[in-house]
Amino acid sequence: MDSGLGNWPSYDPHNFSQLRTSDPSRSSKMAPATYHPTHNRVVPPADQVINTEAKHILLREIYRRAEEKIDLIAATSPLQLTPKRAASDNLTPEHGSKQPRVST
Amino acid sequence: MESNKFGLFATSTALIHDAPAVGGAVQGVPSIEKITFHLLRLEDGLVLDEKVFCNDFVNLTHNMGVFLYDDLLAIVSLRYQIIHILQIRDSGNLVHVRAIGEFCREDDELFLNSNAQGMALSDKNKQQQLLGNNIDNNIQQAQPNPGNSFLSGIKQRLLSFMFRGLWNEETEDTLRVDRLRKKFYFHFQDYVDLIIWKVQFLDRHHLLIKFGSVDGGVSRNADHHTSFIAVYNMDTTEIVSFYQNSADELYLLFEQFCDHFYATSRNSMHMNFISSHSNNIHALEQLRSIKDKASSSSQFMKKMLSSLPFSCQSLSPSPYFDQSLFRFDDKLISATDRHRQSTDHPIKFILRRPPYSLRFKVKPGPEAGSMDGRAKKISSFLFHPVLPLALSVQQTLFLQSPVVNMSVVNIHFRR
Repeated sequence: MDSGLGNWPSYDPHNFSQLRTSDPSRSSKMAPATYHPTHNRVVPPADQVINTEAKHILLREIYRRAEEKIDLIAATSPLQLTPKRAASDNLTPEHGSKQPRVST
Repeated sequence: MESNKFGLFATSTALIHDAPAVGGAVQGVPSIEKITFHLLRLEDGLVLDEKVFCNDFVNLTHNMGVFLYDDLLAIVSLRYQIIHILQIRDSGNLVHVRAIGEFCREDDELFLNSNAQGMALSDKNKQQQLLGNNIDNNIQQAQPNPGNSFLSGIKQRLLSFMFRGLWNEETEDTLRVDRLRKKFYFHFQDYVDLIIWKVQFLDRHHLLIKFGSVDGGVSRNADHHTSFIAVYNMDTTEIVSFYQNSADELYLLFEQFCDHFYATSRNSMHMNFISSHSNNIHALEQLRSIKDKASSSSQFMKKMLSSLPFSCQSLSPSPYFDQSLFRFDDKLISATDRHRQSTDHPIKFILRRPPYSLRFKVKPGPEAGSMDGRAKKISSFLFHPVLPLALSVQQTLFLQSPVVNMSVVNIHFRR
């Protein structure tokens, strides 16, 4: 294998085929660009990009509680002063699940 | 900002108590003739930029009125009730981004002024007279129009958020009006009189603002005053949530997500060794034991929440305060930079890992112990963020005359 990890044994010879040895010009903080599944039981969508959520968990929780209060009222009452708010941009169900996003 | 290129320093002239409330200033807040924020290049000490505030009041004690997050700086003008957001550019400039208070959106002032021009001639003359009487300052802040009877932008956002929240809690109109009367209009003047006490960033777009009464804003110990916490989105200019300082919900968020209240840049390694009850089992156990011992749960929550909003850089990032590495007496020393009671005995740091032995001691004050054992002593500590070096400052307050403060500074380092 030409991966700089030497000829370490691996189940699948393609597993580390795309790994590039650490480049001094690149910061070591950068995560690898792509992940490849080591099995083919479940194939991810070809264009899936996993990103870190921009809003951190505290803010997500604060917004979730605020939305919950409004949605609760919307669900229980026919009339209200404020019109029902449009759904937020972020439609993730609960924190913890990664959402597939089209890479730009 | 990771490069540690810049340093931000503030200087101010003396405090003037009982300053008259002119030009939209809040009555009861003292005034400082001149406060200057200097942006220095640390390499050579060159002053790159500065921002001046005149006849204003920014609480510079323990950096309480200022919050630095990445390249954004929030400065709270207590006197004029404005949150100034500045950005530190790589070029070394301090750029004014927005001023939240009188106005929320950048174009609010323009909109209001353009509508004001349609007013009757007599009103216009009256306004001009009032403007002429304004104090002439060299200003970087939006001077509110004293003839304007509108509440400030941020106050309007707050009151309308509260109104809508209470309105939506009931379905029937009669119940709604009743609820509003009891919970909103009854306290309306108190809500209108609320002032911004303290501010912190939650991320680049959100602020955590503490509101309270004028009395508590400048007093040192405001724990017994009622205060409120609001989460404000600077981009949408909306209040996202609003809690009283003893709210269960807010405490739950604080207990579960404590680390996220310490807004630090995502890439920063600053938080690596900072122990909180959200990231450290020993700190969590400490919190639990205080919670169990507390006589009143609401008092306990209020006490915990009184630390919000956090002051930036108030926790020492030194690994010596990492609770998974060392055990030490929290009452004598901790990562927070506040003064605490000092004893003559050295402060022990004990290993959390085998062999669980005493690792080192830190002794503030004179080597041989102080002369007068009864005098009240307070200590503060400054640990180097990276190197094994610490400073301790012990002050002895002599209560008998002549009243003298004696300070002993020790430098502690690892041999």
